[in-house]
Amino acid sequence: MSQNFKNWPILTGLVLATVPIVLMYSYLVLDTVTDTKPGSIFPNSFTLEHWRFLYEDIEGKANIWQVTLNTLVFASSVMLLVLSVSSTAGYALSRLNIPFRREFLAGVLILHAFPSITLIIAIFLILQLIGLYNTLIGVIIVMTSLQLPLGIWIMKGFYDSVPWEIEMAGLQDGASRFTVWYRLVLPQVRPGIIALGVFSFLSGWGEYILPTVLAPANNVQVLSGYLASLIADDRNFEFNLFKSVGLFYATPVVIMYLFFQDKLMNIYGGGTKG
Amino acid sequence: MEIILEDFTKRFGDVTVIEKMNLKIREGEMLALLGPSGCGKSTTLFTICGIHRVDGGRVLFGEKDVSRVAAQQRNVGVVFQSYALYPHMSVFENIAFPLTVRKENKNTIREKVAEIAELVHIGELLERRPEQLSGGQQQRVALARALVRKPGILLLDEPLANLDAKLRLEMRSEIRRIQLETRISAVLVTHDQVEAMSMSDRIAIMKEGEILQVASPTEMYQQPVNDFVAGFLGNPPIAFLNALVQDGKIDVLNGKIQFDFPRNAKPSNSTKIRLGIRPEHYQPNNPIQIPGTISFVETQGRENLYDVKLEDGSILRSIQSSAFGTIEKNSQVSWGVQPDQLLIFDQAGNSI
Amino acid sequence: MSLSAKLGYVFIAPALVLVAVFFLTPVVLTGIFSFTNMSTATGITGGAYQITPSLLRDLSGNGFEKKTLDTIGTESYQVSQATLQVAREAGSHLDLLSELEADHLGSNFKNRREFERFLKKLQNRPRSTRELKSTSPHFKKSLINERFETEIDLRNSLVEMQANLSEEQLNTLIQAAYTGWIWTTDNFHKMVILPETKQILFNTIIYVTFTLLLFNVGFALVLAIATFYLPKGQAGVFRALWLLPRISPSVLYVVLWKWLTWDTGFLNAILNPLGVAQRNWMLDTTLNAWFFVVLINGFIGASMGMILFSSAITAIPKPLLYASEVDGANRWQQIRFIILPQLKWPILFVTVYQCLSLLTSFEQILLSTDGGPGSSTEVWALAAYHSALDNYWGNLQYGYGAALALVLVIIGVIMSFIFLRFFRFQELVRQPRIEQ
Repeated sequence: MSQNFKNWPILTGLVLATVPIVLMYSYLVLDTVTDTKPGSIFPNSFTLEHWRFLYEDIEGKANIWQVTLNTLVFASSVMLLVLSVSSTAGYALSRLNIPFRREFLAGVLILHAFPSITLIIAIFLILQLIGLYNTLIGVIIVMTSLQLPLGIWIMKGFYDSVPWEIEMAGLQDGASRFTVWYRLVLPQVRPGIIALGVFSFLSGWGEYILPTVLAPANNVQVLSGYLASLIADDRNFEFNLFKSVGLFYATPVVIMYLFFQDKLMNIYGGGTKG
Repeated sequence: MEIILEDFTKRFGDVTVIEKMNLKIREGEMLALLGPSGCGKSTTLFTICGIHRVDGGRVLFGEKDVSRVAAQQRNVGVVFQSYALYPHMSVFENIAFPLTVRKENKNTIREKVAEIAELVHIGELLERRPEQLSGGQQQRVALARALVRKPGILLLDEPLANLDAKLRLEMRSEIRRIQLETRISAVLVTHDQVEAMSMSDRIAIMKEGEILQVASPTEMYQQPVNDFVAGFLGNPPIAFLNALVQDGKIDVLNGKIQFDFPRNAKPSNSTKIRLGIRPEHYQPNNPIQIPGTISFVETQGRENLYDVKLEDGSILRSIQSSAFGTIEKNSQVSWGVQPDQLLIFDQAGNSI
Repeated sequence: MSLSAKLGYVFIAPALVLVAVFFLTPVVLTGIFSFTNMSTATGITGGAYQITPSLLRDLSGNGFEKKTLDTIGTESYQVSQATLQVAREAGSHLDLLSELEADHLGSNFKNRREFERFLKKLQNRPRSTRELKSTSPHFKKSLINERFETEIDLRNSLVEMQANLSEEQLNTLIQAAYTGWIWTTDNFHKMVILPETKQILFNTIIYVTFTLLLFNVGFALVLAIATFYLPKGQAGVFRALWLLPRISPSVLYVVLWKWLTWDTGFLNAILNPLGVAQRNWMLDTTLNAWFFVVLINGFIGASMGMILFSSAITAIPKPLLYASEVDGANRWQQIRFIILPQLKWPILFVTVYQCLSLLTSFEQILLSTDGGPGSSTEVWALAAYHSALDNYWGNLQYGYGAALALVLVIIGVIMSFIFLRFFRFQELVRQPRIEQ
């Protein structure tokens, strides 16, 4: 900002601190198409060998496309469920006269900070009991439920900022509360819906613990579990392969991140507006 | 349509904001609800349109009791202070919205929108989005949207508050013109007495949840029921002077000035009263002279406004044409009043 | 009921159901499970009653006479409707079975040899010895390893054995024979006395303190303030780079760190030529392991503080900053007296929030050191995960894991309530303005 101070000391410090990140992520890309001699820093030959997992199954591992499809189904279902449930519940808490509204809201506020990962043991047992263990549906529902308090909280915040007059005008124009919500209010909270949608998609896409614990079977494996099992397998320890799978895995995330960076900042800042 | 509020009571939690209010809006008239902020005028408006529920009494539209009827079924057109245009819809879609939710035929909708757009002079703006419109244009769209489905009554909530001074003048007459053309009953909520006086047939003035007086603007200006009404109407505002009734006469400034009580019903001896003197009634050529020193001069161009400090410390105001020159501050003047133009209030503030 | 309340119920019902079943119930169940000895061995739905040879061995040192135990342990061969049925289903010789049913129902034989000798004498005896040997086991009757669904069944069978058990011994035996889970407070007892508990508690404190102070708050502040002083474009690049760890899938992110620190990894490739011995930097010593655990988590955690602090700094009125510069403040003074005071609440907020999430997070540690070397980076949450969901021995201790998790859940509940203080709750629950 101000011209009264020099920038270069800050810049130097920041660059030094950021070196590990830059190194790791540039080698992530570089190593997927090159080979490096052991003990050397720089790659010495170009190869596409590390991408072979795309067209041939790795021994003992599921098919990458099946796994990718699972991940896609998982992440998009979580996104759709979180969106539809939070956008209705958030509206009810923000605008409708429901009994116990106060209590619901306090509950959402408390749960949105609650570390849900501590519940994984109980959830594991619940899924076993109700027979949803080792199914994609089970993990989807669990993941959705755990994201809901944050989602509702965020949507409520966006609804709160929609002017009341818009809704009042809608009522006077003869629309029902539902029509008012659907045709007048929902379009006003589009930024919130996009932000929450991208956020829950990315959370689902990157989630490791829930699918690993709740649906470990090969046929419902997602990319996080696939990559982890690849690394855990001592038979083919090959970093460049891991990185290729990793890059394949992370590319959609990075693209979405670049597109929606501004909208995501709010949520990555803890879901509080400011 | 005639609107009647009968013993209307409204509470928010434990606080009663309006108790047993009665008000009648006549067919085809524009009634202004005037009062300072927090007096309950917006609450009254929101109750008529059905956004607030009544906690006591009834709301009648014509013969029909609508106290329990939902806002959607009341057929009331409302123009909100912020206009509340739907930001994601074009002007056409905004105006058509009340008709679309009634599932009217597409062609009918197009005709009706065109017709109303013609009336409010926005025919060429139909494709625009609200954010591309000026404040005055947004106001016109809001009016069109409220009127397009031929409501029984039109409610205007501080419609001019968000406009700059010039547009305010323009829209004042425009709203009045449209109301007169459609002959619709209308309620105008405002805290601005000029707006109320210039736009409405009658004014209902409110204070702390109570209606003090309902009258035509002229009547209310000339015969306010109490000092609050007298003070609220008129700009520059009225000045008050303490006085005493003595032997059928009015004593001002400890008896230095005396004149006959100008009304027939005289209060008893030694009654303390307050005289209300409007600036236009404290003038050089009036018979009963009250001398003082000019303590403040405000030049307004066509007119000058003077504050005159009397010897007991009270202040009278006078407004005079600037055509005859400006009198300096600290000059001694002896301007006067005419007894029959005075407003007289008792100690409680009620008009005598 | 008002119109909006009806719509409200419909709107909130799905959220309510999901949160109740998969969020609130687990909270309660964590508490319940922690008072059981549930494990892979006991299963999670009830159990059965089964007397195993090892159980009898255990009991022999426990006041049970050897003779009694031997009686319980004996096996016999019996011709009964039940055993005939078993044999029939297994496809044994039908004529033989008919003969047994007709003439020898109720016969009892002490052991297999005796029973087979008897079978050989029968009219419809099997042709081959092999067939005979395959038939005889169907008639075996023994308590050992037999599953009894209810307590009564086992009790009746034991009484039938006439093993001379006292009522007390009978109860002890039945209780010991139960294979399902039971209520117990042992988990908490165990938690208090096990030396490992102290270790993981210590580890957790180290982990949370260092990551929180150095990165989630400390470095986040540095990032926010530093990027504030940089031109917009540069600031944007740094913020984007520092968000990368946060948005990357954790498995991939940890792979990158492994690549950096592995035996043949990048660090070694740089340091080896300088004469530093090749090693796995992440796992060779406890100190190194901690160093990288803190870095791995800190690089992720710094971004939330960075975002929050940045927006708080941007909210400082510009004239205030210009004024301080005109007044001759140097950069440090500007930070100290203008910027930091504005960040009081955001810092407190981030500290509480991140403290809670660090306390309960274990994903990155699981993926990087997995608590190693030894258990020197095993934190509380990871210990709960390991004992209940993933360990080397395969016998998953659900009950004990739940008890460990319960401690975190309780801390979580308490701190979440503290959280409420950060929001102006009264403002958030203002009455809806449309009353219908």
